[in-house]
Amino acid sequence: MTATVTISKEWIPRIAAFCCNWCSYAGADLAGTSRIQYPSAVRIIRVNCTGRIDPEFVLNALDKGADGVLVSGCHPGDCHYTSGNLKMRARWTLIQMAIEQAGINPDRIRLQWASASEGQKFADGVRELTEKVKNLGPFRRGWQ
Amino acid sequence: MATEEVPRIGVFVCHCGHNIAGTVDVERVAETAAHYPNVEFATHFMFMCSDSGQQLIRDKIEEFSLNKVVVASCSPRMHEPTFRRVVEEADVNRYCFEQVNLREHVSWCHMREPEAATEKAIDLVRMSVARAALLEPLEVKTVSVEPHTLVVGGGVAGLRAAIDIESRGFKVTLVEREPKLGGNLAKLSTLYQDNEKASDVIERMVLAARISKNLTIMTDSEVVDVEGYIGNFDVTIKSKATDKTEKLRVGAIIVATGFQSWVPEGIPPYGMSPDVITLAQFEEMKRDDKVLCPSSGKPPKKVMFIGCVGSRQPGVQGHEHCSRYCCTAMVKAAADMTEIADEVLILYDDIRTFGKGHEEVHRSAHEKFVIFSKFDRTKPAKTTVADDALSVKWRDILAGDDLEFHPDLLVLATAMIPPDGVEEVSQLFSLTRSADGFFNEEHIKLAPLTTHTAGVMIAGAAQSAKDSTDSTTQASGAAAKATSLMARGEVEIESTVAHVLEELCSSCHTCVTACPYGAISMDTSKKPEIAVVTEAECHGCGTCAAGCPSSAIIMRHSTDEQITAMVEAFLMPPPVMGGGDS
Repeated sequence: MTATVTISKEWIPRIAAFCCNWCSYAGADLAGTSRIQYPSAVRIIRVNCTGRIDPEFVLNALDKGADGVLVSGCHPGDCHYTSGNLKMRARWTLIQMAIEQAGINPDRIRLQWASASEGQKFADGVRELTEKVKNLGPFRRGWQ
Repeated sequence: MATEEVPRIGVFVCHCGHNIAGTVDVERVAETAAHYPNVEFATHFMFMCSDSGQQLIRDKIEEFSLNKVVVASCSPRMHEPTFRRVVEEADVNRYCFEQVNLREHVSWCHMREPEAATEKAIDLVRMSVARAALLEPLEVKTVSVEPHTLVVGGGVAGLRAAIDIESRGFKVTLVEREPKLGGNLAKLSTLYQDNEKASDVIERMVLAARISKNLTIMTDSEVVDVEGYIGNFDVTIKSKATDKTEKLRVGAIIVATGFQSWVPEGIPPYGMSPDVITLAQFEEMKRDDKVLCPSSGKPPKKVMFIGCVGSRQPGVQGHEHCSRYCCTAMVKAAADMTEIADEVLILYDDIRTFGKGHEEVHRSAHEKFVIFSKFDRTKPAKTTVADDALSVKWRDILAGDDLEFHPDLLVLATAMIPPDGVEEVSQLFSLTRSADGFFNEEHIKLAPLTTHTAGVMIAGAAQSAKDSTDSTTQASGAAAKATSLMARGEVEIESTVAHVLEELCSSCHTCVTACPYGAISMDTSKKPEIAVVTEAECHGCGTCAAGCPSSAIIMRHSTDEQITAMVEAFLMPPPVMGGGDS
């Protein structure tokens, strides 16, 4: 008897994630130390604060071929730098407007708050964004 | 401010034993990295943080004249300081070091997908190599340390830490949210190993604290706000009674907020009868010389203890950890009860009397004819109540017999859990918590008293379930950490601050309003006026750089180019070099 094995390689989206050092990067560390398993699609870029994130970083990532972008920071009121995350939240509205006007589905980007003690919340956020982006399929623009 | 030097990058991929290499193909990661632009050398090694791993980095820096180093290992929140020191020892500036997180962010969270994990690792290393090429050396700066420590929590750990710090000649303020000092220990009767009264132990410590002239005690008070950084924290303490607040500047903080004893509300047998109580409730009765059955008000004749209630029960009643005090506390309480009760029985899963002098307490309980019976953890004892009388049935797995006991007092040795308000404390001091809910140390073996917030230490049961012996030991250690900061008087801080490029500044004031610290002002001596950063006040968040419409602000060590390089290296991998003329 011979068995037929079909291995189909699943499409893994490419998601750029900007995480603040103090809450969400540490939250992602906690997800790891707690061995919480989540989709491998994200590549985390560490910034000191979500307030450091220029809207251009998000738009540029999409332009360069990211299928999705995640921004994850401290809860409002809980910023290591007191208010950087609030600045990010204000900019997020601009980012959403910009990508909608460019005809990009807003489900490709996600802003979330996950503290250093919320490993599960961080992982859940990654999972949710990955699933949404998977449903939308690859995003082809720019250099591609 | 581009450096004139051509980047010469070394890439060091760590196995972390089996932690990374068990999932990620580290050899392939290193081989791939060797072909990236500017990479002069790439290798993989069992433990990069070990002495031999550190030596390897120093040797290769010299051999290949490396000026940038990328280590792909654990989280930078763990070993960035280690590797920064290593590269500095080989004359590479600490800010020319870049760490890739292959453990917490890859191998540990994609354990069942080795191929996808390896691809992610390859991407992350490529991204960091691209960033490393753009890293610039920065000057190392120091700040002074305010010679004053804040201790949060006036239990046995907080008292010990505060007294220790004061005895070394430094100022200390002890804040306790309850009206009285003593914490959980003050609720106990007598302590193992020496049968000392808990109140005597606490009173001695409180007295020592009260006569210490540089020690300020603030009871019935809570810390409500913490700002600043290591060496210079500005804390606000509020008196619960008067609602008055006081501001203090301290150089270090010790969090000793302790634990609370778990009350298994709604989980039988607790709640089935007033005669079912926790060991903590029993201790309070015993402290007040009133060990009486709550239902009848009479002294109990048949007493039963059950161990490991809510401890060592992952996913069942909630807590995976061993609470580390209850076995010895329970056998001591049982031995003491033989003085007034006719029969005392301990129902246990395991008895772990591991500490100094604990086994003697265990033996003494046997000598006083306490009955020990081991139950089957998969078939817990069944408790029923008929005519107000308790009946407990279980199978003794050593004898293989079904047994029954009718206690008139049933004492549950319940778990130690984090206290109410732990969430607020964790947010206040930016502390992370482990799965059991207690505060995380910086490193469980290498740095068990410090936390990820520089200048904030933890001690006692705030870190994990433990008894008062271990708590005071930790407290003395945390006090030593705080005093070593005070004694040095200064501490190195990050040089990652904002810098304005004068020729690009359009005088728009956006950065002035964006800065949360008021660290940016306008230099009106220039025409037109130019934004200027007061570096000592800059905390390095980068909000100004992101807000500047003219891209006139460089965020050192986190420049637009460095961030963009990572994004582009991820999404637009450079052509593989080293094969032919490409």
